[in-house]
Amino acid sequence: MNRKNRILLSELTKTDFKLRYQGSILGYMWAIIRPLLMFGILYLVFAKFLRFGDDIPYYPVYLLVGTVLWNFFTECTNQGIQSLIIRSDLMRKIAFPKWIIVISATVTALINLGINLIVILLFALLSGVSFSLSWLIVPFLIVELYMLSVGIALLLGSINVKFRDVQSIWEVLIQALFYAIPIIYPLSFVVVYSDVAANLLMINPIAQVIQDVRECLITSETVTGWEILPNIFVKFLPIIITALIFAIGALVFKKKSKYFAEEI
Amino acid sequence: MKKKNMKKTKYAIEVRALSKSFKLPTDKSWGLKQAILNRIKGIKGYVKQDVLKNISFNVKKGEFLGIVGRNGSGKSTLLKILSEIYVPDKGKIKINGTLVPFIELGVGFNPELTGKENVYLNGAMLGFSNAEMDEMYEDIVEFAELSPFMHQKLKNYSSGMQVRLAFSIAIRARGDILILDEVLAVGDAAFQEKCNEYFRNLKGEQTVIIVTHDMENVRRFCDRAILLENGKIIEDGKPNKVADAYLKQFN
Repeated sequence: MNRKNRILLSELTKTDFKLRYQGSILGYMWAIIRPLLMFGILYLVFAKFLRFGDDIPYYPVYLLVGTVLWNFFTECTNQGIQSLIIRSDLMRKIAFPKWIIVISATVTALINLGINLIVILLFALLSGVSFSLSWLIVPFLIVELYMLSVGIALLLGSINVKFRDVQSIWEVLIQALFYAIPIIYPLSFVVVYSDVAANLLMINPIAQVIQDVRECLITSETVTGWEILPNIFVKFLPIIITALIFAIGALVFKKKSKYFAEEI
Repeated sequence: MKKKNMKKTKYAIEVRALSKSFKLPTDKSWGLKQAILNRIKGIKGYVKQDVLKNISFNVKKGEFLGIVGRNGSGKSTLLKILSEIYVPDKGKIKINGTLVPFIELGVGFNPELTGKENVYLNGAMLGFSNAEMDEMYEDIVEFAELSPFMHQKLKNYSSGMQVRLAFSIAIRARGDILILDEVLAVGDAAFQEKCNEYFRNLKGEQTVIIVTHDMENVRRFCDRAILLENGKIIEDGKPNKVADAYLKQFN
């Protein structure tokens, strides 16, 4: 990345950051409060009323990890896809690499994730989870999730420039996706019901990352994709999918971004 | 060797056989559904419009060039291609030096940020680092005559103050080539006079390309002018000659 791009990226990110919570009393605190509130609701409904997590150690932390990572994924993709439209004025008036817009939108989500991860770690330690070396794997899993999110944002964002339907379709799709990932329900529920269904769920890279982070961070009793997927190729499938989506997203974006200024 | 170098850097901008067309969507081709339907039916869904047709010209270093022409003659498209916002269909452009484009004043200005923050943001868009902006900042604020207001949010500025700030960034930003689209003089009479003064003194120091409809400005500031009509250069030369040709179009 050259100097000029770095300046622009940091300046755009700073502005995004400054403006996002402007005029709200709690300001930046909302970045922490929002996922915590969502977690609170899910915890009340699924842990207390429906008793989903009775057989899982540290279920509240387990649930928090799922909601925070899911939040990150939705924020990254939604903001990333919309960012090109939001910044359309800039693209029409000045020349610069367009990926900076998408990346700056996702960096804000990344910073929020960082803060939420600190909350998770504190919460985990308070709940009695103890430190283990496997915590050090977590950053790599987050890199994987970030690459997947950026890949999707680049791919769908560049199509969204011309066909704004994409944005709306994605918002609906993401609602459906939420239930296709073991965030609120433990994966063991699905394994009991059907092995094939559990395998299908775990091919999804988001599910793989969430389960792996839980495994590394909280309890090795977590059922992960690595444990249940049948052979070595299928075990690696989530990572292959991530790399593919990222590569396709980057290529499509590179090809289309030349004409964003004219088409938007 | 030395001679070769000098020859190389004689021009600030070289434009060779430049063509550009747009695909204008016909009224029913918007949205995903229609795009898919069009694909199936084999309908193109757009009309092609040639905006620039095989244009060639050079701009010397330090030259003050005016581009004139009626609405829709291709002036703004040409500026946007020079600024690398649009990609040419055919032809080549070569820019020697750093180009600072102002297709519009105050690109990226945000009403919720302070005047100062906006100056730095605008500078970053133009590729200037914080350190470089630190150097230019005093100069910009002084020219805009807005120093008491720089820590106020931009939304509390009058519209005149906003353009003054944006314009000051435009002419104080240190680039080799300055591109201005229809934004020669802004603000009240006193500020306009100051801008005129600035442009008069500028001659030869910086390469400037302006698009304008005001022939007075062309005669006053430009060393040379180009008249565009339907995407072609129909007049290129002395400002007076080009300004007359432009005015004749309306008779």
